[in-house]
Amino acid sequence: MRVDLFGFRKFREALESISKYNKYVNAFVDVADPQTIRDQAEESARRWESGQTKSPLDGAIFGYKMNLCTKELRTTCGSNMLNNFKSPYTATAVELLQEAGAITGGKLNMDEFGMGSHNVFSNVGPVRNPHGILDRAPESFDNVEDRSAGGSSGGSAAAVASKMCFAALGSDTGGSVRLPASYCGVVGFKPSYGRISRWGLVAYGSSLDTVGTLTRTVDDAKTIFDIISKEDEKDSTCLTQRQRDAIAKALKDFSDKEAKLHEDSIRNDPRPLSGVRIGIPQEFNIAELSPATKELWKRGIRVLKDAGAKVVPVSIPTTPLTVGAYLTLGTAEASSNLQRYDGIRYGHQSDVPDEKDELYIHTRSEGFGKEVRRRILLGTYVLTSGSFNNFFLRAQKIRQMVRNDFDRVFAQPNAITGSYSPIEDRIQSDRVHALLTPVAVETAPKLEDVFGDHIDPITAYLDDILTIPPSLAGLPAMSVPFAKGLDDNFPIGLQVISQYGDEEMVFKVGRVLEKSRESM
Amino acid sequence: MQQPLAQDGRIEISTVDGLDYAVTVRIEQLQLEQDTGKSLHDVYPGLTLQDLNRAGTGLMEIVTKPDMRSSKEAGILVKKLQALLRAVDSSDGNMEEGSMRCDVNVSVHEPGTPYGARCELKNLNSIKSVVDAIDAEVERQISCHENNTPVIQETRGFDASTGKTFRIRSKESAPDYRYMPEPDLPRLVLSQNEIQTLKQSLPELPDAQRDRIMQSYQLGVIETRTLMGEDGMVKYFESLMSSGRQTKSVISWYVWDACIGMTIHELLGRLHARGINFSPDVVNTSQLGSLVDCVDRGLISAKVGKSVLDLMIDGDSRDANAIVEEKGWKQMDNRDELDQLCDTILEKFPEKVKVVQGGNIGVLGFFIGEIMKQSKGRANPVILNELLRAKVGLPLAPTGATGKEKGRKKK
Repeated sequence: MRVDLFGFRKFREALESISKYNKYVNAFVDVADPQTIRDQAEESARRWESGQTKSPLDGAIFGYKMNLCTKELRTTCGSNMLNNFKSPYTATAVELLQEAGAITGGKLNMDEFGMGSHNVFSNVGPVRNPHGILDRAPESFDNVEDRSAGGSSGGSAAAVASKMCFAALGSDTGGSVRLPASYCGVVGFKPSYGRISRWGLVAYGSSLDTVGTLTRTVDDAKTIFDIISKEDEKDSTCLTQRQRDAIAKALKDFSDKEAKLHEDSIRNDPRPLSGVRIGIPQEFNIAELSPATKELWKRGIRVLKDAGAKVVPVSIPTTPLTVGAYLTLGTAEASSNLQRYDGIRYGHQSDVPDEKDELYIHTRSEGFGKEVRRRILLGTYVLTSGSFNNFFLRAQKIRQMVRNDFDRVFAQPNAITGSYSPIEDRIQSDRVHALLTPVAVETAPKLEDVFGDHIDPITAYLDDILTIPPSLAGLPAMSVPFAKGLDDNFPIGLQVISQYGDEEMVFKVGRVLEKSRESM
Repeated sequence: MQQPLAQDGRIEISTVDGLDYAVTVRIEQLQLEQDTGKSLHDVYPGLTLQDLNRAGTGLMEIVTKPDMRSSKEAGILVKKLQALLRAVDSSDGNMEEGSMRCDVNVSVHEPGTPYGARCELKNLNSIKSVVDAIDAEVERQISCHENNTPVIQETRGFDASTGKTFRIRSKESAPDYRYMPEPDLPRLVLSQNEIQTLKQSLPELPDAQRDRIMQSYQLGVIETRTLMGEDGMVKYFESLMSSGRQTKSVISWYVWDACIGMTIHELLGRLHARGINFSPDVVNTSQLGSLVDCVDRGLISAKVGKSVLDLMIDGDSRDANAIVEEKGWKQMDNRDELDQLCDTILEKFPEKVKVVQGGNIGVLGFFIGEIMKQSKGRANPVILNELLRAKVGLPLAPTGATGKEKGRKKK
């Protein structure tokens, strides 16, 4: 009997975990009405009993990042600007999960509008990494040294890590799902740009934003992805069914030909990654990587080799340029997207008497936090006509170069950029199917080291260099929990990146890494 | 890097569009932008409502060069553009509902001096308000010049209730003007192949259709415009004209299309009076065709035809022959019967006969009217005319139908 797969037992576990841990972790900002959760769990349990479940996720408790619109609870984006905002509609991704029987557990903490890497820029305070407290008695939580949960989807990662929910949706613009996943020891998955509808995801950097998942296993990520990766006419950047079919066909044609060429060697090798080539991008080996992280990266390479993969060094020469390009484009788009918070249409409106058309000024100064104001100003500057060519256009060129770099490295064709060299060339060469990199330079830092006025924002931005390149190129990437840190016993993940549209390859390699952790 | 969808177009407006001369309005470019939503003023008096349902989706902006010199030209251009967009099915062109919106830049200057500062009039939501707003703004700018107050470049709105334009905001200065390729509108890659296919699948454009209709059916501008002004009417008209009717001789063609034109005119007038929009289904073409045939063959008079049309509009779905048959409305063609009717009437009004004979031919109409009354409209007007003239001693004159044809040819 699979009756209790999610519904009945899990909803209790989730509510218990919330009451036990949330005060410290600060992951859930709004929790759904427990009675409603209970009723939905009961209905789901009946569906499991009668064999009429809506999906494998029927009855699972989900948490949603505060920037995903839901009709039921607030959608604050972690900002005073939207502290009382209730959306009149529900995000497509959330709606698809609800149709699949998922139960909304509540809304999760985040860096304001997704801007941050440690979930410290939130109007309700920072999220604390749950790993310091999971085995402890609540009375002793005060004695724990607070660690970052990562950001901006810190609430989502921490909630899943502490079992407050089965899984969570987050959003990833430059690493906002993958970094907290690495710090919190969960699977953080960002699919190709355009796979999941952004309808109802409050915009930060529209050309970079993707909805992402935080789960405890790679298979859970795939199950959720298969449900929410769907054409949506409400988002013109969401892939149409026709485009999806074209991508699938291009990838299948490629793998069929490849399989034919390597038929013999693959047939004689039953290992999961036989025939798969993994690239190690040299430029990701940055000076800031802690020795422990480097050691784990090497271990990851060995795991993949043992699973039958051929591992080769590759080069993404534009990597050092990506942080600058990302900040330029991301802040420019943010400055445009956040213009709508003017106190007129929705959200916070200043009480300061509006004497000289200054309502906007007061409203925005009061409503936005420090980091958001900083990025709006940066973005406004790069879009000003005098600096547009110097900054914005250059950043767009770099972005294209990054795409080209990845296209040169991957064996699979890129159905979007149309990078097609003859399939035979791609197969014979040392082109790879996926890349393996670290996600973060180290395990979760102490909260006091990333929070406060002494922090230099530029150094903080540089921390994202490992997650930004695939974001700029729109590629699928996943942070897989790989090990506990060698120095501090906090989790750390490795990142798997693949060609545009080839999420399956990411899952495949991710599963191998995940399995090695279990056996460790 | 960023390219508009199209550049360097033009729209010609001329006498056929209702202007007294010809103007070429150049189209600078056609580009995609993000819709910001729209404001609805005074749905509740004094309040402005915002409709953000389309916010973030694509909208097509068509930018003209400064080639128009009057509100009339602008109004005609907008109307023509509207017809064009409807014809290619790219917009329903409905300005009141915001599916087509118009911003107009207005500047005045004295001949021989450079262009004056321009003001942008925003969100004009009907052709009438385009025309009225331009007139109001021209007047305002002229009076600025006359009072030696400078015209400031700014964005203005138009208040239809006062008929005046008002300042919304000053034009953005360079630091405020921040342009960015919109990431929510994905790149539109059109292959030459797709462009070619689109070109080939274009329907007949309004100008070409107008020229063709005027030529093939020898119609005047006004009639053509009436036909083209109603959705589906051209097709309706052309299907009336087919069904073997083109095989008629040229002369009777004239009569034919005049007849159909009149019938359509009658139809539209009647629909309008009943508050019904034209649709080819109200009175289908085979019904209306049968009516045209009955009138043309002299089976019934045009007057009786109108009564038949009334019945059809009110739901009688039979063809004209059946209706005429049942109602006993068939035209009186019997010369003897008509002869008797004429005599009766002429005897009844001997003074009026004298007036006609004295040269006032107009009074002939009085007799025709009386006889029509007696015959309940069934008397054949051609024979009647002929008989009456013979009896009072006048020469035979052209009939009404040919008279109309002459009138049209003059244009």
